[in-house]
Amino acid sequence: MIAPGIKRGTAELAVLSVLEDGPLHGYEMARRIEEQTQGALRFTLASLYPLLYGLEKRGWVSGAWETGQTGRRRRCYRLTPLGRKKLKPIREEWEELFRALRRLHKVSHA
Amino acid sequence: MRDWQALVEQRLAALALGPQEKTEVIAEVAAHLEDTCEAMVKQGITEEEAVQRALSQAGNWRELKRKILLAKKRGHIMQKRFRQLWVPGFLTLILSMLFLTVVQRLGLRPRIVSSGPDAISLYMPWLAALPLFGAIGAYISSRAGGSRGTMLFASVFPAVALMGAFLLMFPIGLALEGVTGRHIDFGIVAATLLRDGIGWLVAPGAALLVGGFLAQLLLGARPSSRDAAIG
Repeated sequence: MIAPGIKRGTAELAVLSVLEDGPLHGYEMARRIEEQTQGALRFTLASLYPLLYGLEKRGWVSGAWETGQTGRRRRCYRLTPLGRKKLKPIREEWEELFRALRRLHKVSHA
Repeated sequence: MRDWQALVEQRLAALALGPQEKTEVIAEVAAHLEDTCEAMVKQGITEEEAVQRALSQAGNWRELKRKILLAKKRGHIMQKRFRQLWVPGFLTLILSMLFLTVVQRLGLRPRIVSSGPDAISLYMPWLAALPLFGAIGAYISSRAGGSRGTMLFASVFPAVALMGAFLLMFPIGLALEGVTGRHIDFGIVAATLLRDGIGWLVAPGAALLVGGFLAQLLLGARPSSRDAAIG
């Protein structure tokens, strides 16, 4: 079980990463994140949309209404070039943190 | 079929956004809930139960509204602060410094008040013009919807900036002392700052503030002044 505080920190990375593969609407984004993290990261309405709107304000993602194959209109988000640029250092920061934690784990079990 | 649009609209009715933005948020949240509900029904949950679960996923609707508003307005608040404070503040600073340069280039001498080591020099023509610059700053801030506090801060901004520069003299003095090894008497520095502070900070600040107050009086209680993002 991952604590909510840690989850909050990873939310941006999760959303930007899942959008790297292509545009998605909010529900599909939340579903994929949950599926790909095997349920470890779960987005609710209250956590997903404020985050998306914040990312949109910063120009990291852009949203546009699109009509799907079912004829339903959904607001799809895509990663902007700026978002793609920002994703790289965020990902590197987390990777560095995970490496550091792994090292710490090894030291404590040596 | 549930009318998700109506269900969400009811719960997000008080969302303080523009009509189009609000409609889009409601439509988006409604679509999300509809998809969530459909997925649950596909898993074998009854529609009634799925609706309740989907709605409860939003948690506290008031909190959701607050979070959405904060995310949507964040950039707006930054823009407002820029237009209401930084633009008029820096304009007042530039105008007052340009005018001071003109006064000095024209060869006008500062007026010395009192005598001896504690003499205070005042550029009277510059001080006389400062209320006008303060009023300009306050007026521009007011035009951008600045609150009374923001208007006054924009008008006295040059004095605040100068005070920042004056205060920087202490750490710079400490650094110089460390580099050169020469002892700097901070008592003398403080006395100089206090003496020059009257001529360069207190008197100009008061003159700018007078301009800011006058602008407020002349503009009266504009409706935009109540729209306070900051200040």
